[in-house]
Amino acid sequence: MAESLISPDQIYREVQKAIADALQISEQKVEPDSSLIRDLAAESLDFIDINFRLEQRFNVEMPRKYFLEHVEELFGEGTAIDESGRLTEAAVTIWNARLGSAGPRVHAGMPLDDVPALVTPRTLVMIVGEILATCPATCPSCGKAAWAVADGSPITCGGCGAHAPLLAGDDVIRRWLEDFRARGGSVSRAS
Amino acid sequence: MGPCHGRVALVTGSSRGLGRVIAQKLSEAGADLVLNYRKAGGRSEAQARALAKELVERGSRAVAIQADISQKDAVATMFQEIAAQYGRLDILVLNAARAPFKKVGELLRRDLLELVENNYFSNVYCMQQALPLMQGRPGHVVFVSSLGSRFALPSYPLGSMKAAMEALVKQWAVELQDRQITVNGVTAGLLKTDSLMVLRQYWPGVERLPASAFVDLQDVAGVVLFLCTDAARSIRGQNIVVDNGLSNELLHPASAG
Repeated sequence: MAESLISPDQIYREVQKAIADALQISEQKVEPDSSLIRDLAAESLDFIDINFRLEQRFNVEMPRKYFLEHVEELFGEGTAIDESGRLTEAAVTIWNARLGSAGPRVHAGMPLDDVPALVTPRTLVMIVGEILATCPATCPSCGKAAWAVADGSPITCGGCGAHAPLLAGDDVIRRWLEDFRARGGSVSRAS
Repeated sequence: MGPCHGRVALVTGSSRGLGRVIAQKLSEAGADLVLNYRKAGGRSEAQARALAKELVERGSRAVAIQADISQKDAVATMFQEIAAQYGRLDILVLNAARAPFKKVGELLRRDLLELVENNYFSNVYCMQQALPLMQGRPGHVVFVSSLGSRFALPSYPLGSMKAAMEALVKQWAVELQDRQITVNGVTAGLLKTDSLMVLRQYWPGVERLPASAFVDLQDVAGVVLFLCTDAARSIRGQNIVVDNGLSNELLHPASAG
């Protein structure tokens, strides 16, 4: 499968490099669980810079919106974030369903403003990996199953040279949420 | 002696981008500077402090003050500090902006609040607090706008706030007509700042536009500076487009496709 063409370790090295370059710090300072905001002093514009570098490197489109924003768009405003800008119980449930026990932890009542500080190199590796995993088995242009990765390049078809068609990051999240709903998962406003 | 010698100037959002260049320009023109940044502990704080230090080393007065200007109390505290440090204010450049980049149909109530609080309330708070410190002397207020006030840009609801502020510029100019305080806007075109990173995510190819589509930061800052001098005292309530001519042509064949 295409995603195994680029290993999580390789993605991690690129994430580390993108962060170091964007923040103008040494790669040694970037650890898998460093909080980009708390530990590395990144700000919102830096996130965009980091994402852009990863997009160039992997020919992917990183999500434009946070996971909980997608939750609110799909399930309705107020479902994940309450009036005072804090996470609801439902937000915690769906967060855990998506990220599992290994992901960064959230709790009900946590201010939404604190969520960006949970982003770490590990989370970015997960996002890039998920997008790369949307690569179809065969090339839609020539029908061959010959995805290849030259050193430092995006996934390309060994048959016709086309770039792998990958789902956009926002669509990956939306698709996960729709699957979640189809499986009977729900997010409703606290009464 | 520069045209702003002895004047005290506040530039909101001046840790980086255009605000930083405007602050440098005003300082070169002799003004004492108040640099403002939103967030404590981040990179912008380090950048604002470094700039303040640099201006001081060049012989100007300059301080960096943290304030999230969407919060009325924070604005009041910042102006108390300006009063304590300088006892006056002559120039107010409303440069700071912060907005979600989303389609209008996707804006949540929270996004709408973020838009108005950071780009409208914030500026009104600053103007209201500035007026007592501008008492009895000529003063200049310049609002930094963008072409988004007149043209639709992808995922750029901030444009509607820029339009609201451009209307407010006229309103405020009339109210302050008798106080020798000028209020004007500078409507900037495409700039090569950090914000371009944002734009290129929503407007693919923007970074490949020809150089002529962009306007030099120095050129925009130069017009802001001019509006902050006595020579411009009869320009009131105007929004001046500084875009290197980008908005003159409906079609730009060179950049199409």
